[in-house]
Amino acid sequence: MLKGKVKLDVTQLENFEYDMSKCIKCKGCYWVDHIYMPGIKFSTRCPSATRYLFDSYGAYGKMRIGMAMLEGRMDYSDELLKTLYACTLCGACDVGCKRNLDLEIELALEALRIKAVKDGKGPMPEHKKVAQNIITKHNRFGAPHENRNKWLPEGIKPSPQADVLYFVGCSAAYTHPEIAQATVKILNAAGTPFMLMPDEWCCGNMLYSVGMVDEAKKLAQRNIDAVRKSGAKTLLLSCAEGYRMWKVDYPKMLDIATADLGFRVVHLVEFIDELIKKGALKLTKRVDLRLTYHDSCSLSRLSEPWVPWEGERGEWGMVSPKLERRRGTNGVYQQPRDILKAIPGVELVEMIRMRENAFCCGAGRGTLEAFPDFALWAAEQRLVEAKEVGAEAIVSTCPWCKDNFSRAVNKNGGKLKVYDISELVLASIKE
Amino acid sequence: MAISQEAYKVFKSIVGSEYISTDPVVCEGYRAGPGGYECGLGYERVMTKLPSCVIMPRTTEEVQKIVKACNKYKVPYVPYSTGWYGARSHPHVADELLIDMKRMNDFEIDEEHLYAVVGTGVIYSQLQEEAMKRGMYIVVGGGGSQVSAIANMIGDGWSPLSYRIGLPHRRILGTELVLPDGELVRMGSLALQDDPFWGEGLGPDLRGLLRGFTGHRGFLGIVTKMAIKLLPFQPERLEPTGISPHTTLQLPEKRVKWINFTMPSKDAMGRAMFEMAKAEIGGGVTKVPIFWRAIARASCKEEFWELWSKENEETISGFHLLRVLLIGFASEEQMEYEERVLNDIITELGGEARRTRPSDESWFKNADSAGMWLMCGSYVSVDYVIETIEHAIPHGENYAKLKRKFTPPLMPDYGDPGWFQSFELGHQGYSEFLVYWDPDENTDGVDQFYLETSKENIRKRFYTSLLGSHQPLYLTGPAYGPNYHKWLLAVKDEFDPNFLCHPPVPLAHDQFVERAEWMKPMKDWESPEIKP
Repeated sequence: MLKGKVKLDVTQLENFEYDMSKCIKCKGCYWVDHIYMPGIKFSTRCPSATRYLFDSYGAYGKMRIGMAMLEGRMDYSDELLKTLYACTLCGACDVGCKRNLDLEIELALEALRIKAVKDGKGPMPEHKKVAQNIITKHNRFGAPHENRNKWLPEGIKPSPQADVLYFVGCSAAYTHPEIAQATVKILNAAGTPFMLMPDEWCCGNMLYSVGMVDEAKKLAQRNIDAVRKSGAKTLLLSCAEGYRMWKVDYPKMLDIATADLGFRVVHLVEFIDELIKKGALKLTKRVDLRLTYHDSCSLSRLSEPWVPWEGERGEWGMVSPKLERRRGTNGVYQQPRDILKAIPGVELVEMIRMRENAFCCGAGRGTLEAFPDFALWAAEQRLVEAKEVGAEAIVSTCPWCKDNFSRAVNKNGGKLKVYDISELVLASIKE
Repeated sequence: MAISQEAYKVFKSIVGSEYISTDPVVCEGYRAGPGGYECGLGYERVMTKLPSCVIMPRTTEEVQKIVKACNKYKVPYVPYSTGWYGARSHPHVADELLIDMKRMNDFEIDEEHLYAVVGTGVIYSQLQEEAMKRGMYIVVGGGGSQVSAIANMIGDGWSPLSYRIGLPHRRILGTELVLPDGELVRMGSLALQDDPFWGEGLGPDLRGLLRGFTGHRGFLGIVTKMAIKLLPFQPERLEPTGISPHTTLQLPEKRVKWINFTMPSKDAMGRAMFEMAKAEIGGGVTKVPIFWRAIARASCKEEFWELWSKENEETISGFHLLRVLLIGFASEEQMEYEERVLNDIITELGGEARRTRPSDESWFKNADSAGMWLMCGSYVSVDYVIETIEHAIPHGENYAKLKRKFTPPLMPDYGDPGWFQSFELGHQGYSEFLVYWDPDENTDGVDQFYLETSKENIRKRFYTSLLGSHQPLYLTGPAYGPNYHKWLLAVKDEFDPNFLCHPPVPLAHDQFVERAEWMKPMKDWESPEIKP
């Protein structure tokens, strides 16, 4: 709708007609914020347009293609699906656009995928396999559900009842147990009782991200009900993708505000940062490492809380009632940096593209499954940047990032070490 | 795919299959509108087409081969760097090849001789940062930080910093131009040797051919490489700070400083510009249109309108904000001296300094053109004039009067007379008239206002820098030339006898008037039948 009733509802592409039609090709979605422009190298923030080059792969092209889809001028084809899905939905375009304008680019991209699924054309075949795993085995790998808690280290027992509920997520439960193990050991060291969900299922990140919103919504409701039933006050995550799902996409799908979930959604770095600043957790053991921090998209620019909005668009494109736009300003940027700086021996060196300008690792939101070469390429770009600043290690806050960076390091035989932040914090806690 | 299979095979053999596409999805990604500069208007709707094929060359040699193949197979083509220049930088005829130049992003910098050699894919903020790392700087044109430096250098390419550095054509050094038939012209010192250090070469200076005064919008060939003159800057770093959207360059206050002054009148502002120039002080200067201030203060579109609705004819006519940039190029003492002189000038003219943030969001690295779309979702500058300050001020006032007749659909601006400033230490005066409208309403009046400004210039004997692609050539050419249009078309015919390079420019606006029903009644000048 260009004028009239409009709602931030991604299940109806019409809600984003105004946003798609007002793209001006300034390519703020593609370039690093010009204030922070580092020069010739590392100057872009959109992995998709940087890799595939044609304008159709940048948000400026996708908004035009989206208009064509909305107006029925565009037939589905392999190229169209590739354009929609060879994209990390990392939010770089959204914050870039919103530096100057009030356009909802990320939501429009999500709505395009949802439309593709509704039209029976999306998602990609690889996504359907993962979706099947999630629906039948409750994890994205298709691993036996009964193995979900096998990561739990000896000597640590979750409480039957606690204020903090740790939602482990598929990656940490099955493929990166070191993250889950480090997380609960940190909680233990801080004297924080925690519980696990009695029967944890996948968060549904993949389902929502590829446009399977009906399936994702069911899972969201199921998971939220389970946490509410548990009586937990705080839901703790060590996975940035899961964090975004719980904090932003669940409320978005269910048309409620993040504040109405009934519990706080907290990433491990927020939790640790609070503990350190309260003196409840001391990082005393040296970790002699020159490292760089990678801002996981879903913890940083994509993590601002969700508030439902519905209203009218009138003259000059103004909307009422007032809409507080999510511009990525209040993402979780500083806490992980403060934690790393608090570890004795750590020398934190920033990459050239950081915070809201960071270049996505390439793994998330369906990219790794359907376009593994592209995902690997994106990770390699980031590793080049890490090497450029002389880092010995790259640290992130998401198992997806760790996984993809590790693949890139393994492929190229590099010496760069890849860590999740939980591992370094644990290493710095005196036993 | 309307381009012949034979031609396509040749194109593909030049760049490889990864860098060419005729896929409708890829081509749709290159649609001009509906948003963007001059987009959503009749010109975009009537005159632009989707490309039939998109190709991305990497080298000048590849560009030459593509253009030669276009001539062989009679394929019309348009060079495209970033696509920012709205409707006019997109295909205008059916079955056209769009040559996307973004892969041509080579960059070299010569610190000793103060120039950078850039490819067409290099944008301004990249160039500015590389220059500043080495103690030099350039003007980032008002087109924005995101535009191709080459495209802007051969187009417009000015900003308030042009007060000190000067207009862009003076900073174009050795340049490579692929002519419309595919032959290569090497300009400046490149004509003699591989060193592009100098702009003038043997024989006539071809830079006029390259850009005229404000550019030919890609209808006289494709610039593939250009050496751009860099200027010495002060040594301290302009530090980026903040998180989007509140990002800014923190200025080293003893070496770089913006100061805003409230002045008693427009004439006093013009006078201040003259006096500054006479005293040879300042790194930049501009009159601030009041809506820029509202844009800067607003956190969103709705807040802009809340602020703007408080304005009226009286507040606008009494608003005279002069923004001056001081740069201590040589030393802190130099800047202190300049500030004292400036304060004397302003005091004498009855002005007053206002508190000004020690930061830059708009002109050094982030020429914030995209912000112009915040208010309405649309924007175009209907005219720019480079003449004198005495000319610039009444030009804007005159346009403001004319604009009332076209408001709505134009945005109510209570008679704001646009933007003016001085260039080249007062030797030139600049006027630019910016307009905005609701793109989701009928925009015929905007198209008509655009044309009416051309007529107004002729009626009132205003100079305009937009002869050529932005105004009907057969209207403005005879009035200003008297043979400007004939010369331009003769040049075009000589270099592009097949009329394949971005047709129908420079006759595109003529053709638009002929083709748009709502424009036809405005045609009161003679023109032959326009091809193609």
